[in-house]
Amino acid sequence: MGFAENIRETLKIKIQKNLNRDYIEKILGIVGSWPVLPVYGMTFASKSDKYLNIATIKNIKKAYCQKYPVAYGSLFLPYELLHSLDLVPFLPEVMAGFTAGIGIADKTLKEASARWYTPDLCTFHRSASGAVELNLFPLPQFLICSSLACDAAQKTFYIDAKKYNIEDNFYLIDVPYNKTADSIKYLASQLEDISTNISKKMGKQVDMDKFKNTIRLSNEFRYWALKVNDIRKELLIYPKNFNGLSFILPFHGLAGTKDAVVVYKNIYFELKDFLEKQKGSSGNKKSGSNIKIKQDIGKTKRILWLHLKPYYKNNIFEILENNNCRVVFEEISQVYWPELDGEKPFESLALKMLSHPLNGSVENRMAAILEMVRSYRIDGVILFAHWGCRHSNGSARIIKDTLRNNNVSTLILDGDCLDKNNSSEGQILTRIQGFMEIINSEQS
Amino acid sequence: MYTCGVDVGSVSTEAVILCRDNKDSNAKGRIVSYVIIPTGASSKDAALKAFEEACMKASVSKEDVYSIVATGYGRINIPFANKNITEISCHARGVLNYFSGIKTVIDIGGQDSKVIKLDGFGSPVDFLMNDKCAAGTGRFLEVMARALEIKLEHFGEIFTKTNEKVDISSTCTVFAESEVVSLIGQGIDKNKIIRGLVYSIVNKVISMVERIGLEEPVCMTGGVAKNLAVVKALEEKLGVKINIPEEPEITGALGAAYLAK
Ligand SMILES: Nc1ncnc2c1ncn2[C@@H]1O[C@H](COP(=O)(O)OP(=O)(O)O)[C@@H](O)[C@H]1O
Ligand code: SF4
Ligand SMILES: [Mg+2]
Repeated sequence: MGFAENIRETLKIKIQKNLNRDYIEKILGIVGSWPVLPVYGMTFASKSDKYLNIATIKNIKKAYCQKYPVAYGSLFLPYELLHSLDLVPFLPEVMAGFTAGIGIADKTLKEASARWYTPDLCTFHRSASGAVELNLFPLPQFLICSSLACDAAQKTFYIDAKKYNIEDNFYLIDVPYNKTADSIKYLASQLEDISTNISKKMGKQVDMDKFKNTIRLSNEFRYWALKVNDIRKELLIYPKNFNGLSFILPFHGLAGTKDAVVVYKNIYFELKDFLEKQKGSSGNKKSGSNIKIKQDIGKTKRILWLHLKPYYKNNIFEILENNNCRVVFEEISQVYWPELDGEKPFESLALKMLSHPLNGSVENRMAAILEMVRSYRIDGVILFAHWGCRHSNGSARIIKDTLRNNNVSTLILDGDCLDKNNSSEGQILTRIQGFMEIINSEQS
Repeated sequence: MYTCGVDVGSVSTEAVILCRDNKDSNAKGRIVSYVIIPTGASSKDAALKAFEEACMKASVSKEDVYSIVATGYGRINIPFANKNITEISCHARGVLNYFSGIKTVIDIGGQDSKVIKLDGFGSPVDFLMNDKCAAGTGRFLEVMARALEIKLEHFGEIFTKTNEKVDISSTCTVFAESEVVSLIGQGIDKNKIIRGLVYSIVNKVISMVERIGLEEPVCMTGGVAKNLAVVKALEEKLGVKINIPEEPEITGALGAAYLAK
C-alpha cells in the first residue's frame, strides 16, 4: 500500500471506530478545509479522480456542516432545481455507496435489518436507511424524490421524513411513463410548484436568475461530458484506477454546479492526453510517451457496463484489464438529454427527466444500449445484476436476447453493489473470467 | 511431449496427463494417465499431489510436461501451473475428446452446477452457473446419501425400482436433510425418498437449461454424471439422450490439458 492509500485507509478506520454524525462532520471539516483538501486530492492517481474526490468531499462537507438547508434527494432528480433553490443536496443512495467504500455497510445493513427493512430491498436503500437510523447522515430540511425508474426512495424517504419529524417537507415528483407534450407540461408544473412551495417555506421567492445560472452550468457540464464521451469512442488506455462508474455525482447531485464542470473539463483534458499517447504508441512504438502501455491495444476487447458496480473493495476491473478487456463505456455515463433552455427551466428539466432511458418502456433502455454498442464498437456487455433492483434486472432477459440477435455476448453478473456477503467472490471471478474467455475466442 | 490439466474442485481434484504429438489444442491427444483425489483442506497441496501422482502413474517425469493448465474453483494460485482457465472453457474442450458436435454441456460438481452452450466445435458461447448455495449440487446428494445410509453409487439402480416419489420441499441442504431424516422416521420407503431427492436436483438444473436454451447433442460432465439416477431423470424430463464421457469427472482436467499450449 502506498502512502496515499495509507492516509485514506487510516481515515476509514477512524470513521469505522467512531461511528456517529459528529465525528463524520469533524473528519469532513478537517479533510475539506484549505489547504488539506488540495493535498488530499493529490493522493489520487489521476486528475479525474482528484477533481471528483475534491468536489465530493466539498459538497458532502457542506451538507454536514448544517449552515445551509439540506435536502435529501433520490438519484434521478433534476439537481439543477435544488441548486437553484439554494438547497444543499444530499443523496442517500450515493452515500450508501460510500458506506460500502469505507467499510461500514455491514453495520448500516444490520441496523436496517433490525428495523424491519426487508432483505429483498436493494441495499442502496437498506444501507442508507440503516445510516439514517444510526444517525450518521446530516439532518435534512426537505426530502425530495421522484418515481423515475426506482420505486424504493418513495417509501424509504418517507420513513426518513417521519423519523426527522418533517413529513410536511416530503415531496414526491410523479414522473409520467411517456414523453409527450402533455406529460412535459404536467411534470414541469410539478417542478414549478415544488420550487414555489419550498421557497415559501424558506421565506423567499423563486429566483429565476439563479435558475438561469444553474441551467447554464448544467449545459456547460453537458458540453464537456459529450466531449469526454466522444474521446472514449477511441480510447483504450486510461489513467490508473480510472473508472467511469465512479462519476455518478457530477451527473446527478452536482448537476448545475461549477464543480461538475470542473471535474468533467479535467477528465476531458486528461483523457485527451491519453488518447494522443495511445495514437502515438500505435504509430511508433518508441514514441516519447511517458505512459507505459502494457496492453496489446489491437487485441483489447471493448466492454459496455450496464448498471452499477460493487463499491466495496474488489478486483473485478483489474481482472478485466489483465485479460485484455476494458470497460470503454458505462450506461450511467450517457448524456441522454437535450440542451436545456434557461428561459424555460421547468420544461427543460421535465424534458431531461422524461428523456432518461430508464423511464417508461424497457424499449427505451434497449434502444440506448444498442446505440452505445454501435458507437463504442462493443465486443461484450456486462450487466451487473444488483440484488433487489427490479427495474434493472427486470430487463435482463430482453437485453440478453436482443444483444444476442445483434451478435453481442452479454454476461448477467449477479451480485450486490454494497453487501459483499451477498455475492460470492469466487463465483463472480469465474463468471467474469469465463465470459472473457468467450469473447476473446469469438473473433480469433 | 506431454501437457497436464489439473482440475481443483471443491470435492475432488483431478489431473490428466495428455500425450501431444501436435501442440494445436484442436488436435487429438492421448490420455496417458489420470488421477482423482479428494481436495481436502489445501487446494494447492491437492493440485501438486494430483499432478505428481499422475506423472508417476504415466511414468513421465515432471520435466517432460511442457505446459500445465489449472482449472476448477481452486485454479488461482497453483504455483506450478502455467495458466489458469475456467471450468467453462475446459469442460467445453474436454467433451470434444469423446463426442463431436456437442451443443450443450451440463456439468454438476460438488458445489456448483453449470450449463454451457457450445458452438459445436469445443468453444463455449454462453453459460449459466447456479448461485451461491449447495442446493442442486453433488454435495447436496452426498449429505442425503449419508442421512439415508445408502451409497451414492447405488442411487442409479434404486431409482429404477419405483416410479413413486415423495416431494422434498426444502431446497436448503440442511433443511432437506432433516426432512429426509423425518421421512425415514415415518417409515417411508427410502427408494421413494431417493427419487424425490433426485428430482429436486434435476428441476433446478432444468430451469438453467431452459433459460439458456436446450440444443442437442447434450453431454453431461462432472462427478454427478456418474450418478445414473440423476442422468436418467434428466433424460426423462428433458426428453433427450444425454451423452456421458467414459470418466465424466475428469472432463475439466482433460480440457485443461488440451488447452495447455
Ligand atoms: N461414483 C459416483 N456415483 C455417484 N456420484 C458420484 C460418484 N463419484 C462422485 N460423485 C458425485 O460427484 C460429486 C463431485 O463431483 P466433482 O465434479 O468432482 O466436483 P468438484 O469439481 O467440486 O470436485 C460428489 O459430490 C458426488 O455427488
Ligand atoms: S439499484 Fe435499483 S433499486 Fe437500488 S436504488 Fe438504484 S434503481 Fe433503485
Ligand atoms: Mg472434482
